[in-house]
Amino acid sequence: MKAVLEVEHLVTSFPGVGRGKTVRAVNDVSIVLHSGEIVGLVGESGCGKSTLGRSIVGLEKPESGRVIFDGVDLGSLSGNRLRAARRAVQYVFQDPYASLNDRQTVGEAIDEALIIVGVASKAERSARIGQLLDQVGLASAVRDRFTRELSGGQRQRVAIARSLAVEPRVLICDEPVSALDLSIRAQVMNLFLDLRDQLGVACLFIAHDLALVRQAATRVYVMYLGKIVEGGGSDEVYGRPSHPYTQMLLASVPEADPMIERRRKIPLIKGEIPSPTNPPSGCFFRTRCPLAVGECARIEPPTIFLTPTHRIACRFANEIAQKSLTDA
Amino acid sequence: MTAEPILIVKDLTIDLLTAHTAVRPVDSISYQLRRGETLAIVGESGSGKTVTCFAPLGLMPVGVKADVSGSVLFEGTELVGANEETLRSLRGKSIGFIFQDPMSALNPARRIGHQIAEVAELHLGITPRAAEARALDLIKMVGMSDPNARLKQYPHELSGGLRQRVMIAISIAAEPKLLVADEPTTALDVTVQAQILRLLKEIQARMDMAMVLITHDMGVVAGAADRVLVMYAGRQAEVGPTEKVLVAPRHPYTMGLIDAIPRRDDAIGSRFRGLSGLPPILGAPIKGCAFTPRCRHSVEGCGAQRPPLRTTADPAVMAACPVLNA
Ligand SMILES: Nc1ncnc2c1ncn2[C@@H]1O[C@H](COP(=O)(O)OP(=O)(O)OP(=O)(O)O)[C@@H](O)[C@H]1O
Ligand SMILES: Nc1ncnc2c1ncn2[C@@H]1O[C@H](COP(=O)(O)OP(=O)(O)OP(=O)(O)O)[C@@H](O)[C@H]1O
Ligand SMILES: [Mg+2]
Ligand SMILES: [Mg+2]
Repeated sequence: MKAVLEVEHLVTSFPGVGRGKTVRAVNDVSIVLHSGEIVGLVGESGCGKSTLGRSIVGLEKPESGRVIFDGVDLGSLSGNRLRAARRAVQYVFQDPYASLNDRQTVGEAIDEALIIVGVASKAERSARIGQLLDQVGLASAVRDRFTRELSGGQRQRVAIARSLAVEPRVLICDEPVSALDLSIRAQVMNLFLDLRDQLGVACLFIAHDLALVRQAATRVYVMYLGKIVEGGGSDEVYGRPSHPYTQMLLASVPEADPMIERRRKIPLIKGEIPSPTNPPSGCFFRTRCPLAVGECARIEPPTIFLTPTHRIACRFANEIAQKSLTDA
Repeated sequence: MTAEPILIVKDLTIDLLTAHTAVRPVDSISYQLRRGETLAIVGESGSGKTVTCFAPLGLMPVGVKADVSGSVLFEGTELVGANEETLRSLRGKSIGFIFQDPMSALNPARRIGHQIAEVAELHLGITPRAAEARALDLIKMVGMSDPNARLKQYPHELSGGLRQRVMIAISIAAEPKLLVADEPTTALDVTVQAQILRLLKEIQARMDMAMVLITHDMGVVAGAADRVLVMYAGRQAEVGPTEKVLVAPRHPYTMGLIDAIPRRDDAIGSRFRGLSGLPPILGAPIKGCAFTPRCRHSVEGCGAQRPPLRTTADPAVMAACPVLNA
C-alpha cells in the first residue's frame, strides 16, 4: 500500500492565557494514511484532534514538522500546485453550523464546490448535486431549502456532500456522523466504505464513538494531550489495548443494553486534568495513570512496539499487554 | 422521584413558516415528565426533536415564525401562547437548557468566565464577586483543565467538547427544575461523557431536577433515561420505559434504530447495518404513516391513514404501529 499522506513530527501551538504561554495542541505527531484505508483518530476532548486535522489541510499553521501528500512536502509547494494538493485533501468540519453559509440554499452550497473543480455545464452540475444528495441520504427536496433551515444532522450531510463534490483523494473527517441518528449514520458510514473501496479515498476519521471507529477503521491512533499514545491495527488496539489511557477510554464506552449499562462500573478518572499550557513532566498521562511510578515523572515514555504495527508510548506496555491477554 | 408531573405536553403541534416554506416538524406530540425523571428523545435527524423542545420556550432562530398549538404545562404555567416576559423569566432559571450548537449559543466576544458568572448573578441574585466564584466552581465541576485560565478564554479558543462543557456549566448555574439538554455529550469523549452524565445525575438527585435528554447515543439512553420517546418525521413512533423500548422495541423504526447499533461481534471492516431509504424532508403534513416507504412490515393502507399512538401488549409502552401491535 502506498502512503498518500504522511505527517512527520508535526507541532502546532496556540498562544495560551498569560504572557509568553503557549498551548502545544499538537505536539510532535507523526501519522501515515494509505490510499484506500480508513484510519481512526480518537482521544480526549481537547487533546488536539481537530487541530491536527486543520493543520494537515492548512487551516492552522504548524510551527514545525511536515505534511507530505503523494510524496511531496506541501511546505515546498506554492501557487497552483499547492491549491491542487489542498483540493485533494478535504476537511469535513466538526461543526456543520460553522462550515455552511446560512444565506445559501443546499443546491447553491454544493454547486459552488462543483464550479471550483471546473464542472462547467449547468446540467451536469445539477445532475451531480442530485447524486451527491442521494449519496448522503438527503431527499432531493432539500435542494432549494436554505442551509439555515436544516436540522443539525441534515446540515452535516450537506457538508459531507460538498466535500465529496471535489472528488478528494483524502478526507479528514472531524466527527462526521456524530450528529446523525443511527440508521442514517449507517448509510453515511457505508458511503465512506464505498469511497474507500471504489475510489481508493483515504480517510482520517476523527470520532468519539469507539464502536463505530472499530468497525470502520483498519487502523487507529489514540491521542492524549497533543501526542499519539497508542497506534496500531483496530484488532490490535481494541483487542489488546496496551496504554493505560486507551484502556480507560475503552472501559468507559456505554452499553446500549439498559440492564448492563445501569450496573456497569464506570471507571473513575483520578487526578487533575493536566493543563495543556503547562503539561506534566515526563509522561503526560502520569498524573491520572494508575500505574505511574517515579520514573514516569522524570523521563519521557519510551515507544514500545508490541508488533511491527502496534506501538505504545508507555514503559509498561509489555506488562499491560501480558495482563490483558491473561484476563481475556 | 415523586408522582407529580412537572411538565405536561399535550398534542403539541408546531408549524414553522419562513418566507418560502411551511414545515410541520412537530405533529401532535404528548408526554409527561415527573420531578427527578429523565426522558430521552431519540429519532431520525430532522424529525423535530430540537424544535419540540425549544420552540415552546420561545427559542427559535430569527426569520422563522413558529406557530405553536396544543399545550405545554410547566409547573402549572401554560407555555403555549405565553408572553415573552413569562418565558424569559423561566428560561435559564427554572428551565435550564443546553443547545445542540454551543458556538451559536455563546457570545464570541466575551470571555467564558463572564458568560457563566452573568447567568449565576442574574438568576441566583448573588453579588458579582460571588458569581465569579460560582463560575470557577462550575468550570471545575464540568471537568475542565486549568479552570482559572479557562475562565479568561474566548469561545473560539476552545475545542468542541470544551465549548459544550461551558454550555453545560451555564445550564446548571441556576440549578433549574427542568433541564432540556440537546445532545449534551455528542462532542465529548467517553470518559468525559461518563463524568458529565454522573454530574447531571448528582444534580438531578440533589435538586429533584427533571431532564429531557435529546441524544443519538443509545448507550447514553440506556444509562441515563427512565423513559424514551422515539420520534419519526415529527411524530411519536413509540414511547415507554427505557428497559422495555431498547430491549423489545414495538415500532419498526425503533427496531431498525436498535438493530443499527454496532455490536462487539461485528467484524472489523464490515458494513454497517441501517435502514434503507431516505427520511422524508418535511413539508406539508404526511398522509398515513410517514415510515411506510422504508418499512419492512408495511401493508396496504399504511400509507393512507395516520396510525394512532396506542397502548401495546405491554401497557407501559405505546407505539404508533397497528400492524405489529394489533
Ligand atoms: N484558536 C485557538 N486559540 C487558542 N487555543 C486553541 C485554539 N484552538 C484550539 N485551542 C486549544 O488547543 C487544544 C486542542 O483543541 P482541539 O480543538 O484540537 O481539540 P479536539 O481534540 O479536537 O477536541 P474535541 O474532541 O473537544 O473537539 C485545546 O486545549 C484548545 O483549547
Ligand atoms: N430555522 C428553521 N427554518 C425552517 N425549518 C426549520 C428550521 N429549523 C428546523 N427546521 C426544520 O424542522 C425540522 C425539524 O428540525 P429539528 O432541528 O427539530 O430536527 P432534530 O430532530 O433535532 O434533528 P437533528 O437530530 O438533526 O438535530 C427539520 O426537518 C428542519 O428542516
Ligand atoms: Mg475537535
Ligand atoms: Mg436537533
